[in-house]
Amino acid sequence: MGSPVTDWEGVEAYFTFADNPTVMFAILILSVVLTILAIVKGGIHESESYKKIKNGD
Amino acid sequence: MEEKLAELTAKVAELEQTATMLGTVDVEIFYWWCTALMVCIHAGFLAYEMGASRSKNVLASGVKNILAFAFIVPTFYFFGWWIYLAFPSGFIPSEAGNAGLPWDMAMGPNLADNASGVFWAAFVLFAATTASIFSGAVIERIRVPGFIILAILLGSVSWILAASWGWHPDGWLLKEWGYHDVGCAGLIHVVAGFFALGVLINLGPRVGKYNADGTANDLSPHNIPMVLIGLMLIIVGFFGFLGACLLFNSGAQWTNIYGQPATLSAYGFNTLMCFSGGIIGAWMTTRDPFWMMSGALAGIFVAAAGLDVWYPPLAFCLGFLGGVVIKPVNDWLTGLGIDDSVGAVAVHGFCGALGVMAVGIFATGYPNVGGAPPTSFMGQFVGLIVMILVGFIPGYVGSLILKSLGMLRVPDDAQELGLDLAEIPSKAYPEAGVGSRSGGLAVQPAE
Repeated sequence: MGSPVTDWEGVEAYFTFADNPTVMFAILILSVVLTILAIVKGGIHESESYKKIKNGD
Repeated sequence: MEEKLAELTAKVAELEQTATMLGTVDVEIFYWWCTALMVCIHAGFLAYEMGASRSKNVLASGVKNILAFAFIVPTFYFFGWWIYLAFPSGFIPSEAGNAGLPWDMAMGPNLADNASGVFWAAFVLFAATTASIFSGAVIERIRVPGFIILAILLGSVSWILAASWGWHPDGWLLKEWGYHDVGCAGLIHVVAGFFALGVLINLGPRVGKYNADGTANDLSPHNIPMVLIGLMLIIVGFFGFLGACLLFNSGAQWTNIYGQPATLSAYGFNTLMCFSGGIIGAWMTTRDPFWMMSGALAGIFVAAAGLDVWYPPLAFCLGFLGGVVIKPVNDWLTGLGIDDSVGAVAVHGFCGALGVMAVGIFATGYPNVGGAPPTSFMGQFVGLIVMILVGFIPGYVGSLILKSLGMLRVPDDAQELGLDLAEIPSKAYPEAGVGSRSGGLAVQPAE
């Protein structure tokens, strides 16, 4: 699973799932979501930390 | 006889194929190692920012700097490279940009393409450099998610749009104005410096920086030796950066990014001369090692736009000018209420602007290739205005929006306590009791 090639003769793009646009897009979207999720989680972490400081915890 | 001739022909063909492949691999190797050297810029900025912070904020500054690099990489993959390839003519994307879309076959391992990956990587490091420049200016009071969003806006949108206009062989600044900026004085340093200025206006100063009467307090760096080593590492990295600004043409003379003939030797002469000029100029006027090493950077930036053409003593004089002006410019900004923690606006923004105009004053009339006009004062002036706007407007507007959403500035009580204690689960100097409320009892940050 994953390899788009079965031998090396005349091969150009050979990255995983290069022959399967659906899977490629799914992985791309997942990486975008993870990037955004990390920023959102960072914001939540900070806000909670500041709240603790404000409350003197 | 015929057999020998056929054998010889086959051998020549084989040798030609080998030479071509060697050339292709040489190009890859050159940009690979330039990129590796550029990582030193980030090691340097990391040490610089942490050293320039007070001890209560040292790890938070480090985390912020590391994240700038980390978030630039995927976002530059998602859309940064596409922007460079798609927008040389202005704001309308061209189909040429398709090669930079993240689903294009060139955007991953490909045996028919030895160039895209190493060029993309070098441009990622340029982008991350802009984010690191901005990062230093805003230490000790910017919220991390807001900072990340702004770093992405600068590194993966603003600078690369400027590069598409002023560095791409079809960029409108080159084609219509003959803009010349081989070492990115405008494209990176002006854009990043003025972006930082736009953000600083909305972000405001660190708590304790200004008194009620408007006078400024000295919030000294906690570790000047770390700052100096960081700055010297940035210089090391800039040798990779400037090398990657040249085009390695296998089997032919080097060209600069605009296709004009150039040599790496030219960069060798001029980079070292302007570097030393910057240090000496700053030493003569400040005697302060912080400004001396900042002067080294400033010296390079004042000479950067014309590194391919300067008479080396002129590069030295330009560097010297950079070293002399940075502290007065930073003092002037501080007097205006701009708390730029590391002098990024003065060193990068102001000296980058001097660098762009230095070409317009001392290096006019150099012919361009491909029908673009020769270098000129007006070409540089127009380029400079564009770079200032491409930096300042997104920085100001982006930070204004984040400010209105409460995502820009760390609350004053958290600043007073220290960001390490507020946000970071580890301590920079545990034996010293720094990063704790009372000699070691740290507040547990939220999970």
